[in-house]
Amino acid sequence: MDALLSVEDFTMHYRTKAGWVQAVDGVSFALKRGQALGLVGESGCGKTSVAMSIMRLLPYNAEIKHGRITLGGRDVYAMASEEFRQVRWKEISMIFQAAMNALNPVYTVGSQIVEAIVEHEPETTEEQARRRVAELFDLVGIPADRADHYPHEYSGGMKQRAVIAMALACNPSLIIADEPTTALDVIVQDKILREMEEIRRRINMSMIYISHDISVIAEVSDIVGVMYAGKLMEIGEADDVFKRPRHPYTYGLMHAYPSILGAKRDLATIPGEPPNLMAPPAGCRFNPRCDRATDECRAVEPKLIKAGPEHRIACHNPVWTPSSGGERVGAAR
Amino acid sequence: MIPGHARAGGPSGALRPAPRFGREQLKARVITMRRYMLGRVGQLVLTLLIYMTMVYFLMQAMPGDISQVYLANPRIPQAARLELKKQLGLDRPPFFQYLSYIKNFFTGNLGVSFSHYPRPVWDILVERLPRTIVLFVTANCLSFYVGFVLGRIIAWQRGATVDRMATVVGITFWTAFYPLLSLILIWLFAFTLNRLPLNQFIEPALWIKAPFTSNTVFGYMVLGASVIALAVFLIFWVFRRGLRRTRRSAAMAWAMTAGVIGLAIWIAHATGTLIYIWDIIRHMILPVCTLTLINFAGTMLLMRDSMLETVQEDYVMAARAKGLPDNVVRDRYAARNALLPTVTSLVLSLASSMSGGLVTETMFSWPGIGQVLFRAAIGNDYPLATGALVFTGVFLLVAHFVADVLYAFLDPRISYTGQPAAEG
Repeated sequence: MDALLSVEDFTMHYRTKAGWVQAVDGVSFALKRGQALGLVGESGCGKTSVAMSIMRLLPYNAEIKHGRITLGGRDVYAMASEEFRQVRWKEISMIFQAAMNALNPVYTVGSQIVEAIVEHEPETTEEQARRRVAELFDLVGIPADRADHYPHEYSGGMKQRAVIAMALACNPSLIIADEPTTALDVIVQDKILREMEEIRRRINMSMIYISHDISVIAEVSDIVGVMYAGKLMEIGEADDVFKRPRHPYTYGLMHAYPSILGAKRDLATIPGEPPNLMAPPAGCRFNPRCDRATDECRAVEPKLIKAGPEHRIACHNPVWTPSSGGERVGAAR
Repeated sequence: MIPGHARAGGPSGALRPAPRFGREQLKARVITMRRYMLGRVGQLVLTLLIYMTMVYFLMQAMPGDISQVYLANPRIPQAARLELKKQLGLDRPPFFQYLSYIKNFFTGNLGVSFSHYPRPVWDILVERLPRTIVLFVTANCLSFYVGFVLGRIIAWQRGATVDRMATVVGITFWTAFYPLLSLILIWLFAFTLNRLPLNQFIEPALWIKAPFTSNTVFGYMVLGASVIALAVFLIFWVFRRGLRRTRRSAAMAWAMTAGVIGLAIWIAHATGTLIYIWDIIRHMILPVCTLTLINFAGTMLLMRDSMLETVQEDYVMAARAKGLPDNVVRDRYAARNALLPTVTSLVLSLASSMSGGLVTETMFSWPGIGQVLFRAAIGNDYPLATGALVFTGVFLLVAHFVADVLYAFLDPRISYTGQPAAEG
């Protein structure tokens, strides 16, 4: 099957008074229909910028340096804006970071979903659209009569669910969920993630989850991409990446989170801070924080290379973990 | 590829009747709103009492009194003078005068004007106040609308040529010396181009043979305009309420609006008042336009600032992501939310332009309440001056009330119970 979404060597920089911020640099990945991709990385590593690039919602000071994003074979940035407006929500929708503010406070939640439906489906009457809203509310677990209420009458979790219902409204083939559950407590977060996953599998939809929380990504993704400082460091099937991480950054990130079930151990931290994206370090962008860095890492920028059938890494000096739970080979931290 | 819509809630979902959005909500809102409005009216009456008291004693504190002007006529014998003074109630202590004023006020008796003796104050106010109110409300609504529309456009195209130009032009008028600007406009349109009347409220030559008084015609005109406004509002509410604003519904709404206005013109024509109404409207054009030019920049810049904040909001981004057309994102999302803080400015600008009404009325010789108030204050005509001030105040309190209701109507987050709505 063809890729639904493909991002090829996409590079996007922000122009600021102080200089160019290299927010997204040479990112490539492809997503098949029905697959869920998880993008993980520290705050400010360019995850949301990737999402906004795919949605073509970049601010005015963003400039695409090179690369291409295609959705269902069509180049997103070659489409006329009116043509792409029709693609939005119909084919690709989004669950926003801070869903709390993604609803217009002066209209009822239901009418905001109806609005999206009737905009994209001229043949659907408002009556039918309202019925669909009731179904969607059922699906995400909100009482249908709450559609008449205003956003401020919703709890945080309900707003999140409503935003999910809104994203599902036009049956898109791809949903980008940008930190969909970050604002919620862990129990609600887990519940909503499971429900989203269930819906996604049921209707064979593709999804991009974006989170800084590796446990969220681990729970729901088929493919995992690890971003660092605007670059994709490692991407592969979730099993490969989580059980046999090859990139030192992925390895560090995984050990920076506690495991409830695993043995008690001190959390390993990655020393240092993410680089300033206006002047990223030469060579590998992770090299100043990497304990495996060599002269090569400091001089030559690593390309994404194949490390397995569906596994690619950008590292000169990868970690090798032979199997799940295996000992890490290499310098001790 | 993508399964059909019905799958979302399973097959049973399709059989369920569509929920009626808003019906229950609306009912609950109306009940709480009524309670809120009653409480608000109570507050306003209290405010009015305080205001009346202040106005009354400020009048009393003015130097001199009517007895010196009106009772000092040497041809009136002393006894008659005292008798007259007693008759006007000016011999009693001020506090008792005040009490009887308050008592009379609420029984609809504002007293008799000293300078227009024996014409009751109420009579003069009924004649003059509507002219002032109509002039200033029209001008303020127009300048609010112009400011709102321009502010919306320039905020959406921030930094573009239209933004810079509108800002420069707006600020220029905003800071212009008002009497000078009105003189320039009178000179240009009334004198040089000779398109509009110079001043006054009516053209005496036209009215001399008129079978009606100007006040009757003016009254019908105001009534008719209110009915038309209400009808147009209802038409647009009915036809443009839905989310799918089609070309057809727009055409219907506009056609019906044209029909209503046509009908009104026909009625005016049939009753023979059309030329007289047109005469009054012609006389309103210059003052209204001058006030609009002076005032629109305030709303415009406020709207611009307010909207530059709302365009940053996540829901505007979400609306774009939803693939809504640009003008819908602008109007229903960014501008609709930016409108809320500017509503307050509508009342404030109404208040400030009313209080500066004397200047406008003098420049255009508009026979309104400002001139009456000025002459009454100069001539120590307490009942008239007090009445004019109090009723200007009453009007502004009513305007505040309308703004409160409007605000509550526009922003669902406003809680009528007096507590802020619970968030999240």
